[in-house]
Amino acid sequence: MKILFFAGKGGVGKSTMAAAAAWQLSQKFRVLIVSLDPAHNLGDIFGTVIKDGKTKFTDTLYLEEVNLRKLSREYLQKEIDVLSSTYRYLQVLNLDNYFSILKYSPGIEEYALLTSIEKTIRDETDFDYIVFDTPPTGLTLRFLALPKVTITWIDRLIGIRRQILEKRYTIHRIRGTLSSEETILDYKEEDDDILKRLWKLSDNYQTLNRTLCGSDCHVVLVFNPDILSLKESERLIEGLSDLELPLRLLINNKVTEATEEMAGYVEKQMKGMAKDVPLERIHLAKTLLDGRNGALYDIRESIIPDSW
Amino acid sequence: MLKFLKRILSDFDTSHRESAAALTGVEVRELENIFALLLLGSFVGLPAPPSFLAVELLPFMERELKVLNSRARDAGDMLAEMCGTIGID
Repeated sequence: MKILFFAGKGGVGKSTMAAAAAWQLSQKFRVLIVSLDPAHNLGDIFGTVIKDGKTKFTDTLYLEEVNLRKLSREYLQKEIDVLSSTYRYLQVLNLDNYFSILKYSPGIEEYALLTSIEKTIRDETDFDYIVFDTPPTGLTLRFLALPKVTITWIDRLIGIRRQILEKRYTIHRIRGTLSSEETILDYKEEDDDILKRLWKLSDNYQTLNRTLCGSDCHVVLVFNPDILSLKESERLIEGLSDLELPLRLLINNKVTEATEEMAGYVEKQMKGMAKDVPLERIHLAKTLLDGRNGALYDIRESIIPDSW
Repeated sequence: MLKFLKRILSDFDTSHRESAAALTGVEVRELENIFALLLLGSFVGLPAPPSFLAVELLPFMERELKVLNSRARDAGDMLAEMCGTIGID
């Protein structure tokens, strides 16, 4: 299974390119296209209404729009349930409701987004291609950076936790058979709930990170022939290489006769930044791209190289 | 008489073990404090890990939170804290 991320500045045509690529690929393979952008327009592009979960468009093409708000709510509800059952006595005082304040914690959206990507990659194994249409640059880089950042944190926390358990074990050995409240504390690594949870998390993120940095993951960068888009793309290329994510294709979208010269300049700059990455030029369609009867499928340029 | 002697010896043993364990105990408490502080540092303005990590581990953090709390409470009287640690009454 191959994974494609379409990234770029807002409004450059990521969704359209992702949709066109998904359509082209679906002529030969089974494809799922997932929109992660909170401002969805996948349904509009294909001229259909996408319901909750996957929607079948053709036999080989499925569409999905991720509902971020619902996802973060579900995730937090799960955590709040665990909390409430651990601190069940609070129910007597009717204080358990206060945990619901957690839903306002910052950073939860990125995490929900990442969880949804992870879940899609793990569960949808009967597709040949999964195409992700990402939100604008800032958010995309933030959530793509999450696995690495998180792994670093988890490793450090595991280190400290092990030290704590080691010391607890020492105390246990010195005190010997004496029983006191202290000796009841877990000192074995396999008994410690926090360490167990940390290991599980670490495992999940390592797997996800391997998938994202692996050879089956392709990041496609979409840009327009203008300076603003060039600047932001440069930042995105830097961000991707910091995260060691594989940039595999550049698309110069919406080129017209009038912007031909600018397009050449922008392409040269981009080539300088990302050597050896193939570049595709897509011309601005004269007709409005719109759904099943529109010109979306007439994007003549084959977007995805045959070698993928 | 023998029983009495045994009792004295055992108490002697206990007291030595306790004093040997005490310092490590302090160390553990400090480590637990640091662990909680690192994880929940965003509440006091420290750079924090992604907050969902804190949320994820929060259900199991009861003891660490208690330690954090007591350390914060005692922080105002560090001298007494130190005297307690090295055993000056």
